[in-house]
Amino acid sequence: MMRRPDYSAAQMAALLRKELLETWRDRRALLMAICFSLMFPAMLAGSTIFFVKMHTEEKTRLALLGVDNAPLLEAQLRSADLKVETLSEGEPRQLLAGGYDLVLQVGEGFASDYRSFRAPELYLYVDSSSASAGRAERHLQERLGQLQQLIAGQRLVARGIAPQLLVPWKLQVRDVSTPSSRGAMILAMVPGLLILTLFVASLATSVDTSAGERERLSLETLLLQPLPGWQVIAAKTLAVASMGWLGSLLAITALVALMPLMPLAELGIQQATTAAGVVTMGLLLLPLALLVAVVQILLALRSQSFKDAQTQLSILQLAPVILLMVLDMSRVELSDHFWQLVPLVAQQQWLKSLLVGDAVSLPWVLAGSLATLVPVVLAVALGARALRRERLLNAV
Amino acid sequence: MEWMQRLLKSLILMIAATPTAVTMAQEEPTAKRCYLDGWGDSLACYRVPVGEADNREGLAVMVAPAVNSSGREPLYLLAGGPGQAASDLAPLLNAFRKINREHDIVMVDRRGAGRSGAFNCGFEREMPADLQQFSAELAECYLQHPGFAEQLNSRQAVEDLERVRRFLGHDKIALWGGSWGTRTALLYQQWYPQSLRALVLDGVAPIDTKVFLAASAAEHALQQLADDCAADSGCARFGNWRGELQQLLNDWNDTRARTFPDALTGAPTEEPMLRWALANAIRSALYDPAAAAQLPYAVDQASRGNYLPLSGLTGLFAHSSNGMAMGLTFSVACAEELNRITPEEVARDSAGTFLGSAFFDLFATGCKSWPVQAKPYSAPEPRAQPVLLISGTADPITPPVYAHTALGYLSDKQDLVVRGGGHINSRRGCIPELIAQFLDAPDVPLDQSCVADIQRPPFMVAAYGPAVTVDSQSQPQQAGGQL
Repeated sequence: MMRRPDYSAAQMAALLRKELLETWRDRRALLMAICFSLMFPAMLAGSTIFFVKMHTEEKTRLALLGVDNAPLLEAQLRSADLKVETLSEGEPRQLLAGGYDLVLQVGEGFASDYRSFRAPELYLYVDSSSASAGRAERHLQERLGQLQQLIAGQRLVARGIAPQLLVPWKLQVRDVSTPSSRGAMILAMVPGLLILTLFVASLATSVDTSAGERERLSLETLLLQPLPGWQVIAAKTLAVASMGWLGSLLAITALVALMPLMPLAELGIQQATTAAGVVTMGLLLLPLALLVAVVQILLALRSQSFKDAQTQLSILQLAPVILLMVLDMSRVELSDHFWQLVPLVAQQQWLKSLLVGDAVSLPWVLAGSLATLVPVVLAVALGARALRRERLLNAV
Repeated sequence: MEWMQRLLKSLILMIAATPTAVTMAQEEPTAKRCYLDGWGDSLACYRVPVGEADNREGLAVMVAPAVNSSGREPLYLLAGGPGQAASDLAPLLNAFRKINREHDIVMVDRRGAGRSGAFNCGFEREMPADLQQFSAELAECYLQHPGFAEQLNSRQAVEDLERVRRFLGHDKIALWGGSWGTRTALLYQQWYPQSLRALVLDGVAPIDTKVFLAASAAEHALQQLADDCAADSGCARFGNWRGELQQLLNDWNDTRARTFPDALTGAPTEEPMLRWALANAIRSALYDPAAAAQLPYAVDQASRGNYLPLSGLTGLFAHSSNGMAMGLTFSVACAEELNRITPEEVARDSAGTFLGSAFFDLFATGCKSWPVQAKPYSAPEPRAQPVLLISGTADPITPPVYAHTALGYLSDKQDLVVRGGGHINSRRGCIPELIAQFLDAPDVPLDQSCVADIQRPPFMVAAYGPAVTVDSQSQPQQAGGQL
């Protein structure tokens, strides 16, 4: 710590080169980082595409039994979403098992009851355990409701009553959401996942560079060098953070690249992420990457063994993500600016805004990033002190 | 620590170097957030300065922004009437949701309509049934604003539209016109072809067509209803209801007018249902196939002395004058349509029709109180923009024959004809989807096969409504015909 700075810079450069080289030479860690970074954007895009296809493109197959009792139903129920097939006979349970989404049965006395205003029954067979049941019922209700309204209207007119008397008022719904705030709903989990990527991508490297080096006894050699402790920790932090940061950059890039493939417009969501937004997102995550790296290294150093380090860090990577999701789901009001000074929460809020094309305030981003970097500096100092303790090296 | 400082500094510089993402304020004309009835999402609303003293507030312009701003041309909606406000077309956005994904949809209330200072002459809810009283009230309104009435016309509406286009910074635009809005769109195409990418015209009123001669068109729509009714097993039992309707109108007298029931209150009517009003109510029922489907039963019942169904049917249009700004209606109609129609043409058009001159007389009487100068159009010049025409074969005011005979000067047109369709078909069946496809690629011929799936709603055959089964009573008749 007391060494002169001109030496220090050269040493630091050499040390950093060594740490980076070791980090990036570890093929397995690199592969794991890349895999996870690409996995979640791909899964998000895939599930969105699947969800929209399910809800907009799927047709409902309706089997109509006893159509001779009410042929009007066949013509009036048919629509772009509803495929009506008339069957002379069939067992509803078997038909539902055999590819129909719904079975509608018209009873024997339907027409005569209808003509004498006795409200005849229609029987709808549905398998509510099937994934398509809800959509199918909605499709049928939509058509059946229209026909019902038409008939009720005609019956009123026949009695000299204007059908609009059935509508005592008109409820006008005014939706205050914007395309970007609707996007926030679907994209809400993305900031948490990006932060998770940071943790996962740097996990293997941080364990290797701390607990791993200790077990391979190469940490001891390093500490024998005339180097200040803070430089050792800082170099390791930078190397680990580089892996985590690159992982999250990869994830952001993949996500933005996949966005045009996602049918967001069908959901009324704007694709608002800009190139500048992507760059900003990347930069925002850098201080957080440093913080995650240094905390991971410290935890791994004070663990009992390589295995113990892995376990502890696995728990660590889940904790903040769960915390963020709970915060998100419990709808804690985070609009207060001071939340932007809390690491993790701050980055989550900024990413959320940038993903839907909203602006973030520059002074608060700078202040918040600084607030993330302060614990990094403190942790590096803490780590440097810990390295001086011999007990650290014996813990195997 | 110097190293760290340098890193921090460079980090701060990098963040500062990306100002576009951090402060994404857009420099556009200032819009206010607003809503229109019939559409739940918020719109961007502008006030565009036009004219001088009489238009201090400016034109009301409402934009439903595209979900994705992909640079596709915006679609402007032009309302009918003349006198309807574009803002009243907001419910159409529900059908145009898919178009709205890529295209901004713009509604401009023309001067004297809707939110641009509705010139409604005090006729906000209902018009007096008595033509003379109506005429007197109209004359009084004219005398208060003769200058304003004189300047309201299609030329001005088109110029204002062009001003709005430039104000919003739009390059080329597409137009959707409905009814009279198609006239405005076709005139815009004459005067500003370079600003236009494509036209969608629903219920076409070509420049040269005298659309206020409505009796023959209404008769044709009624005849088609009668033909479709005769082909329907349930409806065919009403036999010659078309003849009964004529009898009903011929025999209409003061007593019937005064005892005609009121479909809204259930009490005896306050305003007598005069013959011309009844004929116009029947004409109105033909606009909408769902209402028209109840006409044969209602007429059949009336001929047996039960006027309730006919009253219920006319009750459907009880407040339909809402939204038409009468001052604007007469300024445009008198200057551009009524004065080019000769008495001989009226006689020829109304001869042998159920409507007679009942519709024309309303405007002819009104225009006597509204002495604006004639503003004739020049003959249309050839135009090559892609045009999509939509019409219903049973449209009582703008039948398909108008689009087929008076648009020879357009070189690139496609034609969607809805069998049995009434006035305005843009919301029905697959038409919204076809409009979206057309706007995506106006030069590609559309696959029109799905238009044939659009059916007339079921006829009312009895007090219980439509027949759910093929009616056994009329079957022997049909079988007999085949023998």
